[in-house]
Amino acid sequence: MSRSEFTVADAYTYDHRSTLRWLQSHILRYKGLLFTFLLTTLGMASAQSMTAVTVGWAFDSVIQNEGRAGLTAAALYVVAAYVGYGLFDIVNSLAIRVLAQRVERNARDELYLSLLSKSQTFHGQQRVGDLMARATNDVQQISLFVSPALGTTTESVLTLLVPLVTITTLDYRLLIMPILFLIATYFALRRYNDNLSPVATQLRATFAEMNAGLAETISGIEVVKGFAQEPAEEGRFTHNAGAYRDAFVREGEVTARYVPLLLYGLLIGLGFGHALYLFMQGIVSVGQVIAFMALLGTLRSPIRFLLRNIATFQQSFASARRILEMILTETELDQNEAGVAQEMVGEVVFEGVSFGYGQFASGEFASGTSANGETSLVLQGISFRAKPGQTVAIVGQTGAGKSTLTKLLNRTFDVGNGRILIDQIDVRDWSLDSLRGQIGTIEQDIFLFSRTIAENIAFGARADVPQAEIEAAAQQAQAHEFIMSFPNGYQTKIGERGVMLSGGQRQRLAIARAFLSNPRILVLDDSTSAIDSNTEDQIQRAMHNVLAGRTTLLITHRLSQIRSANLILLMKNGRLIAQGTHEELMAQSAVYRQIFVRE
Amino acid sequence: MGITGGLNPEEYDRNYSDRELVRRIVRYFRPHIGKVLLVAAMVSLISILATATPILISRGIDTLAANPQLQLLLTLAAVITVMGALSWGFNFVSLWFSARAVGDVVLALREDAFRAVMRRDLSFYDQFASGRIVSRVTSDTQDFATVVTLTIDLLSQLVLVLVIGLVLLTQNVPLALITFAVGPVVVIIALVFRRLARNAMQQAQRALATVNATIQETVSGIAVAKNFRQEAAIYDDFQDVNELAYRVQLTRVAVFGSIFPLLNTVSGIAVSVIIYVGGLMAIERDISVGEWYLFVQGLTIFFYPITSLASFWSQFQQGLAASERVFALIDDEPLVVQTANEPVGRLRGEIVFDQMTFNYSTGRSAVLQNFSLTIPAGETLAIVGHTGAGKSSLVKLLMRFYEFQGGDLLVDGRSIRSLDLSQYRRQLGLVPQAPFLFSGTVAENVKYGRPDATDLEVETAARQLGDGSWLEDLPNGLQTDVGERGARLSLGQRQLVALARVLLQNPAILLLDEATASIDPLTEAQVQDALATVLQNRTSIVIAHRLSTVRAADRIIVLRDGQIIEEGSHETLLAQGGHYAELYTTYFRHQSLEYRPW
Repeated sequence: MSRSEFTVADAYTYDHRSTLRWLQSHILRYKGLLFTFLLTTLGMASAQSMTAVTVGWAFDSVIQNEGRAGLTAAALYVVAAYVGYGLFDIVNSLAIRVLAQRVERNARDELYLSLLSKSQTFHGQQRVGDLMARATNDVQQISLFVSPALGTTTESVLTLLVPLVTITTLDYRLLIMPILFLIATYFALRRYNDNLSPVATQLRATFAEMNAGLAETISGIEVVKGFAQEPAEEGRFTHNAGAYRDAFVREGEVTARYVPLLLYGLLIGLGFGHALYLFMQGIVSVGQVIAFMALLGTLRSPIRFLLRNIATFQQSFASARRILEMILTETELDQNEAGVAQEMVGEVVFEGVSFGYGQFASGEFASGTSANGETSLVLQGISFRAKPGQTVAIVGQTGAGKSTLTKLLNRTFDVGNGRILIDQIDVRDWSLDSLRGQIGTIEQDIFLFSRTIAENIAFGARADVPQAEIEAAAQQAQAHEFIMSFPNGYQTKIGERGVMLSGGQRQRLAIARAFLSNPRILVLDDSTSAIDSNTEDQIQRAMHNVLAGRTTLLITHRLSQIRSANLILLMKNGRLIAQGTHEELMAQSAVYRQIFVRE
Repeated sequence: MGITGGLNPEEYDRNYSDRELVRRIVRYFRPHIGKVLLVAAMVSLISILATATPILISRGIDTLAANPQLQLLLTLAAVITVMGALSWGFNFVSLWFSARAVGDVVLALREDAFRAVMRRDLSFYDQFASGRIVSRVTSDTQDFATVVTLTIDLLSQLVLVLVIGLVLLTQNVPLALITFAVGPVVVIIALVFRRLARNAMQQAQRALATVNATIQETVSGIAVAKNFRQEAAIYDDFQDVNELAYRVQLTRVAVFGSIFPLLNTVSGIAVSVIIYVGGLMAIERDISVGEWYLFVQGLTIFFYPITSLASFWSQFQQGLAASERVFALIDDEPLVVQTANEPVGRLRGEIVFDQMTFNYSTGRSAVLQNFSLTIPAGETLAIVGHTGAGKSSLVKLLMRFYEFQGGDLLVDGRSIRSLDLSQYRRQLGLVPQAPFLFSGTVAENVKYGRPDATDLEVETAARQLGDGSWLEDLPNGLQTDVGERGARLSLGQRQLVALARVLLQNPAILLLDEATASIDPLTEAQVQDALATVLQNRTSIVIAHRLSTVRAADRIIVLRDGQIIEEGSHETLLAQGGHYAELYTTYFRHQSLEYRPW
């Protein structure tokens, strides 16, 4: 991969040229395990064939009245063969399973690392649910690919081939039926594979549809009941469940037509007939007929295994493809380690900035591109200047491009046209570390990690921040009081098993975080704040404190905040339709006046 | 779906006796009795053929050893071939029809579960997470199908064990007993294994859940990590968790990797014993060579089903537990039940809460106690109060989403318990706090309550809101795709769609729970215009969070702990300097232009 926002020095590199090669390179990383597995598989197949042959000997020795000695020897051989088989089997199954687990671990690691290295453009376009599906289900599916699917298939193939070799030691003429069987089975399997593939896809798709539809109905149950639309919803569900039922039946029909099982049934009869014929010709002994039949018996479970494995292979390949797709998605930004790294003063200038989501991305992730292939611009020709320490309020409807504008500043995205200057230096010429280190962001949805409150406040600051500094930051952010109201104070864990925080509390922790990291420039999105929060005064005070002395881009819906900003940007559909102070805009802009008309 | 999705017990779960459970399952199969019998017959035939093949081969071997006749032998081989083909044919028929029977039964079960869920009032949905409900209806019913398929499989294995056991017994008792002795050994191993496996499985699932949670957190918080350049730190954390999960998985691998080799070795030793003892008997001419062969083969055939019985047993139990969960869901009764189904007609919109008492569930404190309120037809009533004062409860009771315990609720003089519920609800228009949109277009959402509405009606309703300019701000106007749950629209736009939806439905009574999160000031202006239209000519109850709404209402009531403590207009209440004045300072003041707390 050419560009990356984050790299690890000693990461193992895998082959990304195709899905198959990718899987291969993951598996071949552990050649020792793979070799052990193959060797023991061969051992197992040989032990199994040996059992069949020795059973034949036992019969011959009895039929030819050789007495107990021959029988005892044969029985001991059988025990030895089975014990040997058991030992091989344990090593074998451990080897392949450990291999599977390692591949799963490594694939997850590789995917995770690649997610970290991707730019926000990428993450902004991904749904968390979809990413999670790939990182969880698809990665697990890769382990199923190795074991049992690849493992049992290798076993099956060897268990199909080794008996053939063994049969040759009985008499080469016995080979005719098994070979015909294998050829026919090969073609039958291919056809089965082709038939199953679309049905399996359909089965998964209809299930997902049914699930998603039901989830939607239940989430919107108040609306469903409020509008008395239960019958319509029932119709929709029945339709979806019916589609799944049809796919299920079709899958059953395909599985029922699994021809290799028929071929196997025919093989037993025809093989027996052929062996008997050879016996009548005096070519083989009774024991050899028995050994032959026992060898044919060993073919049964591989045939059954293949039935199951084909479905797994198909799913695993689809999963591997999805993972690789994600790993291979190009990212546009790099760390720019050689760039400018100096202390910021805080002057921000936008010069004719345009931006569209599809502008650099290639392939399927170019989702900002409209149907006719043109890139749709989210921002067009934005120019403004903010002096150090000024507050710039950005006003406009959702979708007008407000938050995209702020995200260009710290290079979450890069501009398409025009440029953005901080202290007269293009943001693309700053080192990414220095740039992001001096621009603080308080997002719309405040994200806190499931760690302690202290760790969350100190997140991003240098490693060992003294407790006193954390508390000072919390004080300034008006957060100290509520933090101390928890039994564990600053050591309180946040998140699933810890304490749940209200929106206002989260916001103040994020502000505390900004105080501690002390950025020169602040991007603050206050647009989703709740109206009925009775701690509003505290939050507003905290915000007022944190803005002081920093250049701030402020997205807000609050009339009083808008009015007191140094510069107001009024946006509509990606364009800046007016800018100035409150008084200037009240005088110039009809759209702006509309906002205040009710006051 | 989580790993343990649907496995956690819910309050409505109950235990069914095995007999009850089986009776319920059987009832679903009754309409498909023909297919079931056919499948059973096929499965038995397959078992019989599976036993007959080695018997015939053993007869063939006897003929070989004693008196080989080509004609006879070839006939034998031909018969075995035909039997192989027949067995496949039976298998085909059995799979073909069982797929249909199982598919239909699962469909019926899902429909029943769905209807049961739809019948439930909102107290049910408050109590149980939607993901869990979904997994009961879709995944648990799926596990039920697995039970059925497994049962067919297990039964056929059982038939096979019985048939082969009987055949072996008739051939030679001592050898048969040696063969049967394998059974208990396998069962004991399987039982020990099950305990180990369950532990290892649970730990592995927990470890996996931790890894997934870590990834989820990273993916959700990636922006923060990137803005603070903390990639290396969280990557280290991830690696630790991932490595730990790998190690836990190794334990599981060790358990699962050794069980089948162990079982195979046991069967191998048994085969050796049969070969040796059988061989001795054959030397003594106690049994023929063919019979000896039959026992060697028979052991394998006998052994296989027992192993699979042991290994599928836990899956079978899981499936039964899943069926139990589905039945519990179906059997639970809703609390909201109508006493009559009187036709409703067009309501005038007079509402009377008469000495009403209400709590969300028994044991919880009452939200409303002897609550009385009369709302004349056509009034716009604003309700204000702190969270938990009972504002939303009033609206939800009016919607008849919940059952109340005392007093009565009269609309146009009739108790809402006696009305036809569907007709009644169509007379009410509800705009919830976070308006829920279904995936589809804006137009589809607007006509959700009236699927038969024409495009023109939809357009007219939408244009009545404000000056209709909100449609111009949508990329494709009415045909804009709203995305999953309306995610592609802003909160304000979703509210506008919800208002248009209600306007098209033309309800007699409007219930509006204003959004608590602020909307951008431009959309806010549009929503306020829209509200002015919607509130006209109908009784309206608004849970107010907006300064402009309370100012415009005919009457404001202040709720505290389910009691009306003040009422009047904005100006008079503010002048009183009571609770309303206090609420104003907390909730409404900071929406004004003059707000400046520092």
